[in-house]
Amino acid sequence: MSGGRLAENGGQRIRRGEELRFTFDGDSRVGLAGDTIASALYAGGQRTFSRSFKYHRRRGELCGCGQCANSLVTVDGAPGVRACGEPLRDGMQVEHQNAWPSLELDVMRATDLVGGPFTPPGFYYKTFIRPRRLWPLYEKVLRSAAGLGKLRRRQPEREWRTEYRRRHCDVLVVGGGIAGLSAALRAAQLGADVVLCDEDVEPGGSLLFEGGHERARDLAARCREAGVEILTRAPGLGYFDGLVPVWQGDVLHQVRAARHVAATGTLAQPLVFPENDLPGVMLAPGALRLAALYGVDPGRCAIAGVDDRALETALSLHRLGVQVAVVADLRPDADSELTAALETAGIELMRGVTPVRAGGSKQLAEVQVGPVDPSGRLRGSARRIACDVLAVAGPQAPASSLLLQSGARARFDDTLQSFLPQEAPPLIHPAGAVAGHADAESAMLSGAVAGAEAALALGFGEREDRDRLASERAKLEAEAPTVRRAAPPAKSHDGGRGKAFVDLDEDITAKDVAYAAAEGYDSLELSKRYTTVTMGPSQGRFSQLASARVLGEVTGRPLGEIGVTTARPPWTTVPMGALAGRPFEAAKRSSIHARHRDLGATVRWAGDWRRAYDYGDVEGETMAVHEGAGLIDVSTLGKLIVRGPDAGELLDRLYPNRMSTLKPGRIRYGVLTSESGRISDDGTVCRLDDDTFYVTTTSSGATAVERWFTWWMASWPELDVTLTDVTQGVAAMNLAGPGSRDILAKLTDADVSNEGIAYLDGPQLAIAGIDCLVLRIGFVGELGYELHCAAPQARGLWDAVADSGARPFGLEPQRILRLQKMHILVGQDTDSETTPYGANLDFAVKLDKEQDFIGRWALEHYEERPPAQKLVGFTCPGGEVPTEGAAIVEGDRVVGQVTSSRRAPKLESSIGLALVEPRLAEDGASISISDDGRRIAAAVQTRPFYDPDGELLRS
Amino acid sequence: MSLGFLSISAGATARSPLLDAALGGGARSEVRDGWEVVSSFGDPTAERSACIESVGFADLSHLTKLELQHDGARPFAAGEALRLPGGWRCPVRPRLDLLLAEPSAAAALRPGLEAEGRVCDLTGSLGALAIAGPLAREVFARFCALDLREGSMPVRGFRPGSVARTPGYVLHERPERFLVLFGAAYGQYFWEVVADAVERLGGRPVGTDSLPAIDEEPARA
Amino acid sequence: MSFVLDCPNCGSREVTDFGFGGEVTTRPTGRPEFKELNRYVYFRDNKAGVQREWWVHRAGCGEWFLAERDTRTNEVIWTARPADAPPARAAAASEGAPR
Repeated sequence: MSGGRLAENGGQRIRRGEELRFTFDGDSRVGLAGDTIASALYAGGQRTFSRSFKYHRRRGELCGCGQCANSLVTVDGAPGVRACGEPLRDGMQVEHQNAWPSLELDVMRATDLVGGPFTPPGFYYKTFIRPRRLWPLYEKVLRSAAGLGKLRRRQPEREWRTEYRRRHCDVLVVGGGIAGLSAALRAAQLGADVVLCDEDVEPGGSLLFEGGHERARDLAARCREAGVEILTRAPGLGYFDGLVPVWQGDVLHQVRAARHVAATGTLAQPLVFPENDLPGVMLAPGALRLAALYGVDPGRCAIAGVDDRALETALSLHRLGVQVAVVADLRPDADSELTAALETAGIELMRGVTPVRAGGSKQLAEVQVGPVDPSGRLRGSARRIACDVLAVAGPQAPASSLLLQSGARARFDDTLQSFLPQEAPPLIHPAGAVAGHADAESAMLSGAVAGAEAALALGFGEREDRDRLASERAKLEAEAPTVRRAAPPAKSHDGGRGKAFVDLDEDITAKDVAYAAAEGYDSLELSKRYTTVTMGPSQGRFSQLASARVLGEVTGRPLGEIGVTTARPPWTTVPMGALAGRPFEAAKRSSIHARHRDLGATVRWAGDWRRAYDYGDVEGETMAVHEGAGLIDVSTLGKLIVRGPDAGELLDRLYPNRMSTLKPGRIRYGVLTSESGRISDDGTVCRLDDDTFYVTTTSSGATAVERWFTWWMASWPELDVTLTDVTQGVAAMNLAGPGSRDILAKLTDADVSNEGIAYLDGPQLAIAGIDCLVLRIGFVGELGYELHCAAPQARGLWDAVADSGARPFGLEPQRILRLQKMHILVGQDTDSETTPYGANLDFAVKLDKEQDFIGRWALEHYEERPPAQKLVGFTCPGGEVPTEGAAIVEGDRVVGQVTSSRRAPKLESSIGLALVEPRLAEDGASISISDDGRRIAAAVQTRPFYDPDGELLRS
Repeated sequence: MSLGFLSISAGATARSPLLDAALGGGARSEVRDGWEVVSSFGDPTAERSACIESVGFADLSHLTKLELQHDGARPFAAGEALRLPGGWRCPVRPRLDLLLAEPSAAAALRPGLEAEGRVCDLTGSLGALAIAGPLAREVFARFCALDLREGSMPVRGFRPGSVARTPGYVLHERPERFLVLFGAAYGQYFWEVVADAVERLGGRPVGTDSLPAIDEEPARA
Repeated sequence: MSFVLDCPNCGSREVTDFGFGGEVTTRPTGRPEFKELNRYVYFRDNKAGVQREWWVHRAGCGEWFLAERDTRTNEVIWTARPADAPPARAAAASEGAPR
């Protein structure tokens, strides 16, 4: 009887009597607590869970553990949930994917019946191309056909909270089967801090559904007692130079372990024969899980396989009360206690046969088995076996992705008929079935060995533990049981029609792989990219080996030569949200920031700072600086304290001009050049005393300049000089305008007359009771003072100055004001090629000074050559304001570009800066700007637009 | 003193870079020794027990922080801070120490430091938060990749390194109480990150008065 | 790229704690010819193999140090303060190493 529940057995997860209600495509269904969505559906008689990607064929239970794509459903609106791994919850609303109008009647099935010629491998290179004008239609059709689930268009505010958790540990064991548990226990017993992660809801691996659940639970309990942190429903996503992210629901554990144990087990493999995708054809563990974990009677079972696993599966199912019809073993002659046990159980064993066809209309009804020749073709006649389920026990393939990502190599093992990971790097220890130790006793021993190796390598354990490890290793090698496994053909068939699938996710058949090879795509990597085999949701778990076999058969090459494709993370499908972490952006804000918000400022990013761009009235703020006094927060400037007897020497070596000649209390402008003589940053240097300099940099260049300085200091250890970055600890504000002196006078007792604080003076005085360094410089072109004070007190200073009549102005008005003076913004008005000569900063280069300074060699060369471009000012008589970056053209040749442009309210004209060919750098030269399809006429000028001689600045 | 402008002046109150965020979160503040500090969040009893039973975090940005660049004559005690009266001496590099202290204690220490090398006042450059309670390490695990396990980071352990993706330091001041230092410009960002992690774990922000004192015996065995 | 580096002052940290300063180059002594200057500024060995390079612990102590790392595997062979670094393998540099 197919479906329904089996008798109780200790390994089951379900709790009978605790019913859960859910809906499937609107229909009410029931399940039990402990069920997965798939096991509940199966128990209720559902056999088709989804429709396949391309052909829309029915698909049903396959792996039973959330690894394949057969059971992808949408749960409560979220697509892409694997029903066979997802625990059932009361009230769940489950919907099918990839079938329209319904799972039972899917219109797209037409592609399976007639569409084959339209969708051969690589069809996107061959079909849906001509006529080209129909592409928009093709695109629409393909887009709605592609994909396996729908995302809701409307998502309210971030719905799902996820976070990171950093976990350092001594040993991380990935995989909680018998080998992993054994490794974790041994390492913990030796004193290591151990974390173990496993994909399933409880650790134990295949023990849980092969009758070993009590052993598994006991081992897990001992691990916990020994202090192992066990994470369940927690797959390790990949190996990133020793960092393993483990995804557990809402938490992404970032695990940094000193050593790793990879106990990731093996994956059951399918056999390839016509109609091998019918619901009812499942992997042996899929059938076992249904019966053992969820107490679901899969139905009348036939088993097909290539080794003892087939016999073990039959016996396990039989013990659980499942009706087992026949075991079809490909090996012609393998006798063991298992064959005797089968006989006792009354189960027929057929030797030397394999399935050559599955039959049934909507689900499996019968399987035909028979002997095959080496090419896989039926020899003689096939026997029909009526059954609901065919449990396939193909050769187990090691789940070696993690090991391969760490650097291990995959080598084909003829006995095991699969690729074993070998030559793992020293920090990662393979254990259990993934290393070829599949039977329980060897797996347990190899786990203990791996755990001991990891812990001992870290310094845990004593002499006797080392001796014990040595003897265990010897035992492991000596007592390895012989595996007798038959090599399945690439495809077994009876010569008739029908699709024999190699990759169920992508609907790739053996014929497709063969065709691709015939077209020239005959290496595994090429074949993969052309056919898309292994590119589906299960990422090759159940298709890589089978496709390699087909390729090997078609090209006549042994599997060892075919190889495997590159293993890449993530191991399992992971939602982007799980990787996103918390949504906080690392924003820097000045200590005055709250005031800007209070004043209604437009706040925007300027580098990694949040800044006030304006306070709602750009023109008004700009004019306030010209007519009265304005106040702008410039706390973002880089500020470095350079101290020591060799401080001046250091600055002389880094700046093209002389800084060591500065007198205390005086300021000099400096431009920093790279070894190639290009401008990298600019700023001011103020000498505070004989041994102390205060260096300012641009806001965006602060970090780079600090790094530049410290690197050179590391290269010149003979210099007695130290550097301290006080960018964030010192706030700065620029009080500027003809009224600024009067405001300052109100707030301090010091002499602030033009003699008391002259242009380029840098005195220290108390303003509004707060000690300040005052830099009288003129970035915005009016009389002004840059007030630097300790950040925790800056807000009080700001308030005092603003209350005394200064009007706050933002970054945008500042941009206009500085442009009027042709004060450059490094990186905007200069590019990676601009030297000081190109930017009219010749005065800042003193080639006659004695020191070798950085950039000197290049500047000496450049002094003799005209620069490729020169920075000039321009005005647009027509009043247009060109877009920054617009090209300057002559005919169809580009001769320059606009770097900055604005409308200047004070000048009532449009002004800008541009880099142009040197012959155009003459007052009055006409240039033509090409901007968004139109031409703008402009006139060059080389002197500042406002107060060109700087009289206001010095007043 | 040519670097006097770096230090807090007596003439005006000083505000922590976290103060606005704390006030937005319900803090009560008062002026102590020239600093507007968060004394409580309105429920000192609950705040004290959070620091003992789950986790609490408090703004300690008013601490004086002094950088001392010296000649490296003292052996470099990598990773281990020295407890001083009212503060700590933390080894950053063989020739660079970071001194942390309550403002009054700092004033007493300063002359001795000036004699040893070049002192620079970083009080305004660094924000400081104390995170205290049995879940303190779990809070750090949410935003910091440093290894703060008991065996790797005993009491007095000092670790320069990235905190919430920005440069900073972590100091293990007493069992289950850690101090984290970070760039002052990141004040609001840091408050958001820590508050989010702490509240998720069932903890809360607390006033400085509710923190367990560094030199006291732990409240639980 | 998620390897760890040992800062000589602070110990083991994630690579994201650090700033990379490029491969160690030899600065010309005395005024170089234009071609030599160009080489120094723009050309690098860019070795696929063990490379000697600069790192700075930007998120921590701020110190610059040297390291040798295999650029193919990101295995870090050693880190050291410049004064303590093992002498450079001059042989590899001058014996016509493949470009």
